[in-house]
Amino acid sequence: MKKIFILLTAAVFAVSCSDNLESLNENIKDPNMVSGESLFAAAQKRLADQMLTPNVNLNNNRLWVQHWNETTYQDESNYDQVTRSIPDNHWRVMYRDVLRNLKEAAKVIAETDYEPTNPQKPNKLAIIEILNVYAYSNLVETYGDIPYSEALDIDHTLPKFDDAMTVYKDLLQRLDAALAQLNSETSFTVNEDLIYQGNADSWRKFGNTLKLRMGMTLADVDAALSKATVESAVSGGVFASNDDTAEYAYSAAAPNNNPVNDNLVLSGRNDYVAAQTLVDIMNALKDPRRADYFDPNIRETIGTVASVSTGGGITTITFTENYEAEPIIGNNAYIPTSDPEIPLKLGVITAVGDDFIEVVATDAEIHAGDEVFYGIYKGAQPGRQSRYVEWTHVNRSMVPGDVPGVLLSYIEAEFLMAEGAARGYNVGGSAEDHYNAGIAASFEYWGTPGLSAYLANPDVAYASAIANSTATPAWKEVIGTQAWIALYNETFATWLSVRRLDYPILVQPYRAKTGYPVRYTYPVSEQNLNPTNYAEAANAIGGDAPETRLFWDKFYTFDF
Amino acid sequence: MKTKVSGILTLLLVFVQFTFAQEKTVSGTVSDDAGLPLPGVNIIIKGTTTGTQSDFDGNYSIAVSQGQILVFSYVGFETREITVGASNTIDVTLKAGAVLQEVVVTALGVSREKQSLGYATQEVAGEDLAVVKTDNFTNSLSGKVSGLQIRRNNNFGGSTNVVIRGTTSLTGDNQALFVIDGVPISNRNTNSAAQAQASGNYYDYGNAAADINPDDIESVNVLKGAAASALYGSRAANGVIIITTKKGRKAKGMGVTLNSNTQFGVIDKSTFATFQDKYGAGYDGDVWTYEDVDGDGIDDQVANYVDDGSYGPAFDPNLMVYQWDAFDPASPNYMKKTPWMPARNGAIKFFETPVTFSNSISISNGLEGGAYRIAYTKFDQSGIMPNSKINKHNFLFSGNYDVNDKVKVSGLANYIKTDAIGRNSTGYNDNIVGLFRQWWQTNVDVRDQADIYFKTRRNVSWNPGSAEQGAVPLYWDNPYWTRYENFQNDGRSRFIGNLELSYDVAKWLNVIGRVSTDTYNERQEERRAVGSVAASFGVTRGDVDSGYSRKDITSTETNYDLMLNFKHDISEEISFAGLLGTNIRRNDFQSVYASTAGGLLVPGLYSLQNTRNPSPRPVEIAEKIGVNGYYASASFGFNNLIFLDGTLRRDTFSTLPKDESSFYYPSVSTSFVFSKLLGVDAISFGKLRLNYAEVGNGAPFDRLYDSFTINDDIGTSMPITRNNPDLKPERTKSYEAGLEMRFAQNRVGFDVAYYKSNSIDQIISVPVSVATGYSNKLLNAGEIENRGVEVSLNVVPVQTDDFRWSLTGNFTKNKNEVVKLPEGTETIQLGRFQGGISIQATEGQPYGVIYGTDFMYDANGNKLVDEDGYYMITPTSNNVIGDTNPDWLMGISNSVTYKDFNLSFLIDMQKGGSVFSLDQYYGESTGLYPNSAYINDLGNPVRNPLDQGGGFINPGVHEDGTPNTTRVDASEFGSFGYAAFPNSQFVYDASYVKLRQVSLTYTLPSRYLTNTFMTGLQFTATGSNLWIIHKNVPYADPEAGLSSGNLQGYLTGALPTTREFGFNIKAQF
Repeated sequence: MKKIFILLTAAVFAVSCSDNLESLNENIKDPNMVSGESLFAAAQKRLADQMLTPNVNLNNNRLWVQHWNETTYQDESNYDQVTRSIPDNHWRVMYRDVLRNLKEAAKVIAETDYEPTNPQKPNKLAIIEILNVYAYSNLVETYGDIPYSEALDIDHTLPKFDDAMTVYKDLLQRLDAALAQLNSETSFTVNEDLIYQGNADSWRKFGNTLKLRMGMTLADVDAALSKATVESAVSGGVFASNDDTAEYAYSAAAPNNNPVNDNLVLSGRNDYVAAQTLVDIMNALKDPRRADYFDPNIRETIGTVASVSTGGGITTITFTENYEAEPIIGNNAYIPTSDPEIPLKLGVITAVGDDFIEVVATDAEIHAGDEVFYGIYKGAQPGRQSRYVEWTHVNRSMVPGDVPGVLLSYIEAEFLMAEGAARGYNVGGSAEDHYNAGIAASFEYWGTPGLSAYLANPDVAYASAIANSTATPAWKEVIGTQAWIALYNETFATWLSVRRLDYPILVQPYRAKTGYPVRYTYPVSEQNLNPTNYAEAANAIGGDAPETRLFWDKFYTFDF
Repeated sequence: MKTKVSGILTLLLVFVQFTFAQEKTVSGTVSDDAGLPLPGVNIIIKGTTTGTQSDFDGNYSIAVSQGQILVFSYVGFETREITVGASNTIDVTLKAGAVLQEVVVTALGVSREKQSLGYATQEVAGEDLAVVKTDNFTNSLSGKVSGLQIRRNNNFGGSTNVVIRGTTSLTGDNQALFVIDGVPISNRNTNSAAQAQASGNYYDYGNAAADINPDDIESVNVLKGAAASALYGSRAANGVIIITTKKGRKAKGMGVTLNSNTQFGVIDKSTFATFQDKYGAGYDGDVWTYEDVDGDGIDDQVANYVDDGSYGPAFDPNLMVYQWDAFDPASPNYMKKTPWMPARNGAIKFFETPVTFSNSISISNGLEGGAYRIAYTKFDQSGIMPNSKINKHNFLFSGNYDVNDKVKVSGLANYIKTDAIGRNSTGYNDNIVGLFRQWWQTNVDVRDQADIYFKTRRNVSWNPGSAEQGAVPLYWDNPYWTRYENFQNDGRSRFIGNLELSYDVAKWLNVIGRVSTDTYNERQEERRAVGSVAASFGVTRGDVDSGYSRKDITSTETNYDLMLNFKHDISEEISFAGLLGTNIRRNDFQSVYASTAGGLLVPGLYSLQNTRNPSPRPVEIAEKIGVNGYYASASFGFNNLIFLDGTLRRDTFSTLPKDESSFYYPSVSTSFVFSKLLGVDAISFGKLRLNYAEVGNGAPFDRLYDSFTINDDIGTSMPITRNNPDLKPERTKSYEAGLEMRFAQNRVGFDVAYYKSNSIDQIISVPVSVATGYSNKLLNAGEIENRGVEVSLNVVPVQTDDFRWSLTGNFTKNKNEVVKLPEGTETIQLGRFQGGISIQATEGQPYGVIYGTDFMYDANGNKLVDEDGYYMITPTSNNVIGDTNPDWLMGISNSVTYKDFNLSFLIDMQKGGSVFSLDQYYGESTGLYPNSAYINDLGNPVRNPLDQGGGFINPGVHEDGTPNTTRVDASEFGSFGYAAFPNSQFVYDASYVKLRQVSLTYTLPSRYLTNTFMTGLQFTATGSNLWIIHKNVPYADPEAGLSSGNLQGYLTGALPTTREFGFNIKAQF
């Protein structure tokens, strides 16, 4: 029997001695070293997702600029920032998922020896730095004072908040330094840089356009710095066409799909319809982009096709009888298809008669007997429950998974330059030139025909629009309104434009929880985890309220 | 009479004992009152740790001095004390049904005489746990042990929270450790953090302690304090529940026991929503939807089918409108208008009658030199939700064999196979019960939903996206579709086993070697059928209309123990027992979680390859933990009067930095049996005990160094938690004092304990300002204090030959405080929930306070009302609005025996503790409950428009101090519930008084069985959770919740409680 015990004892001690306790604790499933490029790619995606998503927990800008409205639950259209912790979520994504990963990416890249492609390193680091400035400038424009000099350091768990203006100026310097660092070498590969595929020239234009926006943001607070910044950006070379626009290349299928696709299609929910504010203004302007922004889900029948003829750039559709509905020129005409949700677009109606309409020449197959209809656009009152079936929907062309995600657009660049010119900055061209170019860029981006007719509309044409405006200065309303329409689906850019130019006049949502939110309140997590610095910052900016105007936001025109 | 005599004898012989002390060998036979030999009876010389056990024939022999007292004890039998006289043979008969058990199984399986213990333990007999058959035997401990908090969650097959003496770890595991015959079993669940925070579309997969079959339990001993569990060292901080299984013993007859139990449940209606019956679907009050349903070109009046609320038009049975059932050709009401009235079959009719069958057979007998027990139990339970069931097979074998006089072998093998289908979804989204409680239309008849689903097997929902045929549901699937198409299932195969060799090397030295293992494989499968409302699902939690996921888990814990037991009486007055041992523990946990992406390619086929998009990266986890421990203990007894124990354990951890990986855990305890000095007749027993101990809670796997995350979409990311390379284990320092007394021949007794424990060096993943680039930082800081009083009371008010009434009470009061948090941290968010509330650990507050928005008050404490008549709500959510800890717990059980009948019942109460109800938060605003459809102070329906005398006035004052007189309009959604009230409005006091358990047993007297093959027959009728005598939480059980674990006190869509009625037959052959 003793033998058994000797054996058992030996077995026990064999186990205790044979395995090295410490080695048990190794995580054998996750990497402890990764490439800087893989961190950069992920940071880009997080940034693009956050800028573009319509998820109510993350980004409600489309509701706040009254482009869209919610159907059933109105908490976000009503400016409730608390229930869904939107400020917390934006803060977290920007600091932790974007900026921290960019920081680590830069650190790893700086430490990596890329023989023989080391010359690409300065470009990679400069591109990372430009995205850093993009992300930080968004935080300043969204919250005001933010943690900056002590941010992104785990040893500083109570980071102080820095003065927003100071941060903004420092960001401009960092941006200049980064732009200077870009050289002619290539940098990231196609799979690492999903925005410009490592093209340094594109990044230079991006950096200058970002600088243009930041410079413009300072217009009302530091005119001299604003002018110098804007002019240097323009002379450095900003976006010159829609091809330059910074677009994140999404794929058709989750998880690399556009977040609009996630929220409007994959979610299976019908949470959003067009908002009255945007639809009414576009209806008043007979804006042909309505057909591309929205779905013609609310239909008005024109008549039954008798015959069709095409020639001279127009297609004439003659109906079996005089039609009752009066189609409005500038609307699109459609015929139904087997999918009731997706009609066939015939084109913009350019002329009407008693029993015929003319549309821009189309090679769509139209047969006698087809029912032709046009879409009418009805936007829901902001903050009011709005049945999905009763109001205009978002255009289906916006929702496929692989629609590129716009981070900074040529459209915005032109409107910024229009504003610069209006303010007397030298941006190469008049305010009207850039204004027209901005509208044209928007038409081109959405593939909308009918630009020249639109620009001829006295409510659009720069000179007459200025003359008709009662705003002071008038250009704020004219540029502001067109920029606001053209920046559809650009979320933060649109909100920034509305806050800076104070036009168009937005309406008070039904049962608004607060006044117009001109900033995000600070995250509840900062209130809890960093209370002293939070309190100081709240005090410094004039109170942690959604209505507290930030340092660059000097004017307010809404009547609520 | 017997007691009196033995009392006198004891007194007499205590005197004698001091006079003579001559050692001799006494032997004899121990048998039960039927004359059958009892093997394995513990025989201990009173006041010492010296003892022996009877062999399989009930024979024993022991070296003892004349005048010493032998204590014979056996679980389930009354303990007897017999003073050694002149005779060398003492034959003993033990009577079944022990009231006071003197020998208990303590840490590491060491049997100890209870009076020598300097710490609190409390024992529950297995039969008390097996009365009511639940899928989780830990539920049956509720109210039966002081210091123990049991919180079932009402989830089908769900986990039960088992906490002893309060929360000691801020973010670690606080579940009691279960040890079954020396095999440690984790009570941890595999539920995700998201599940515990009520995120969408998750299930409570239960916890592993539920696998233990109550029919196999001989007794449960709860080691409450640190001193009791100190020998478990770094696993002892949460207390230990020692389970001893039934062992084989020589039987009368064949030794076969058959046990058959049938049980069914009836919903306790006080725990489910009661709806108002005046208004139907909608949000906008008296506004209808107008659509051309019948195609005649004229818009028809249609019930607001897209609105998942009941804040619509008033019911009017004479009004005929189109409702959801008019849109589908399969519906009997297709294209028909139906009266606008409340549903005949409300949501409560959705639930089914739960039925449980539990049948077991066990064979127990003795053989030459040994004994065995074989048991098989089949447990089948169907749940309250349609298409839910649990099946368990439980096989158990235990045996012991005496190889020779010195060497004994024993072993246990327990195999459990559990399969479950249709657990209830526990989160906010996609939870049918949450739908009923929060987002339901009072006009929808669930039977109609059932009929159309079973007729078509299609997802025809009351909430279609449009009135068109075949429209996809908008927010909510047909609930029967959810149950029958989108169900989950899971299965677990588990083996628990040990093998023990015991060798008496010398009279004073015994060596025990034991190897034990607990290993299981678990598979969790979740599915979503094509055509469902899109919901968060699978690995990436993206929104998909369909999908399949599976998680495979393997978990193994192996322990190797080698123990040297020393027994030696230093002198006649001083006894000594020592223990020296080593424990090697290895845990290995692995899981793989994989799912489809973007939906299923082929409908109805649930496999990983059937994925529309390329499969997302699976999540693979491999965690290994090793602890090498050495321990020693020494116990001294002085004249049976004073006992002194000391223990020391050293644990070396794999999860700590190499240079600082070993820690020591000491304990000292003493007990003083002062009744021996008093010599007062009325005081049968009196003992004072004191102890101090330090125990721990080891570090989790992989918390030293950081790893990167490989993203599912693109690239890699930094971890969100910064680990800590200088980690230390958590440490609990605990004091305890106790007093145990019994009076009047043990007819009255109490046990009081007071304790204070401080848990320091908390391993906390501290949330930090996310501006640091991290969400959390792992620290070793912070302190939690628990102070408490426990009282157990036993009284036998009446005892005659035929009649006996005994009463047991348990009282628990634990005061918990988060004393300190890491520098600069005032509060740690433990969980964040839908509705904007969070549960936090805040310095100076108890662990687990509820944060949320609150009313605003003026200096006089009046609620502030704004100029529109609505309550002003704090702009921030950082207000403490509730405390999830109960003030105290109490259980009172009564047992009345008259002749062959026994009636027992248990009343279980909790005072205090808070729960937040998301059900009320949303449900009151969506107009479901009567408190949004009452007759107001003007005598009009509150939902009338203001100009028709509707509305109500929120009591309170304006900021200028004037009372509010502004009437709020309540004619449409927005004036009740979350839309107009702060979170604090929906925090309720979780107090309850419950009639927890009732049983009536009839034991057929043996005289009727003398000429049959049967040796025993017993009938029992049982009831559990029969009556919630008192509670404050509306329409729900205050015990309901999401999962076991550190986050308690949140209600969303919990299942209603059922009253369970059962009938049991037990036959022995």
